[in-house]
Amino acid sequence: MHEMSLVQALLAQLTTLAAEHDKKRVITVTLDIGPLSGVVIDSFQFGFDILSAETSLTKGAKLIIINPPATYQCIRCGHRQSAAVRPDHCPECNETLLIPEGGDAIILNQVEME
Amino acid sequence: MCDSCGCDLTDNHSHKTDSRVIEVHQSLLAANDAIAAENRAHFEAMGVVAINMISSPGSGKTTLLEKTIERLKGKIRIGVIEGDIETDRDAQRIRAKGVPVVQMTTGGACHLDAAQIHKGLHLLEKEPGGDQLDLLFIENVGNLVCPATFDLGEHQRVVLVSVPEGPDKPAKYPKAFISSQIFVITKTDLLPYFDFPVAEAKADALHLNPRLQVMALSATSGEGFEAWIEYLQEVTENKGSGVQAGGRKEGTYP
Repeated sequence: MHEMSLVQALLAQLTTLAAEHDKKRVITVTLDIGPLSGVVIDSFQFGFDILSAETSLTKGAKLIIINPPATYQCIRCGHRQSAAVRPDHCPECNETLLIPEGGDAIILNQVEME
Repeated sequence: MCDSCGCDLTDNHSHKTDSRVIEVHQSLLAANDAIAAENRAHFEAMGVVAINMISSPGSGKTTLLEKTIERLKGKIRIGVIEGDIETDRDAQRIRAKGVPVVQMTTGGACHLDAAQIHKGLHLLEKEPGGDQLDLLFIENVGNLVCPATFDLGEHQRVVLVSVPEGPDKPAKYPKAFISSQIFVITKTDLLPYFDFPVAEAKADALHLNPRLQVMALSATSGEGFEAWIEYLQEVTENKGSGVQAGGRKEGTYP
């Protein structure tokens, strides 16, 4: 359940941002959580619901999570494909060994505050 | 896209005059990764190669370390940072082998993070011989899920699965295998008693990460142990040059 640690890191960033921009309340938070990030999105949402309710800054804030695809490169022919779920093989040469690239990001993109 | 402000938010989206959308584009792991980079620089200044060991509880990490220390005694100076939720039992086992060790207890957290390693490293340097090391093992909290997300500043990441756990761990816990350089199958002396097709486990792991180097060994019988020792000698001789940084790939986000 390391999602709790990540939610704590998010709330720390929101607190810093609110102070920097002289804002009192977070309305929406938009994050990218990649399919290879090792984060269970439901657990992250659960942690956010609990911890965000503890301070007036984040109480009632809405969390928007975008799950961008990862890229898989074929070890034999080098063909790249984008996919949310790991593909079984390369569509060009049928090779099954594909090297994942990216898809492991956990990025805070935008915060709407007032 | 929102027509009012041009942002990506589509619903429940307020446009009160005093609200503002701030573009951040920063990783939630940025704070951890910054400390991990400091740790890496610290390891390099010490001339030590750091290896992060990740597995389920009971896969034999501590036993493998005990046998490794015995085997490399007088050849490679080894130190250990132990991570556990509670107790210093693992550190006691390692200390009995006569090498510098510190125990980090997370008090409930399911993984080590870079800040704990920063602290552990300073404590280790105060142990006799702790500032004169060639190789540092970081034994992570027994957990195949959460530790995979946190870069500790290690040079190499090793994921371990023991024969009694079954061969389907790579398929079920992909992140640990994608982010590691070495996959060690342990307790191979138990292969006659368990249904563990080694070839299948290897193929599953390579399917996830074709660059993974796979080893199978028994710390008890010594079978397959030489490949592990050769690997450790090789990374230690390279002193960090040419070895890959563990953890998340840098620069995967623009």
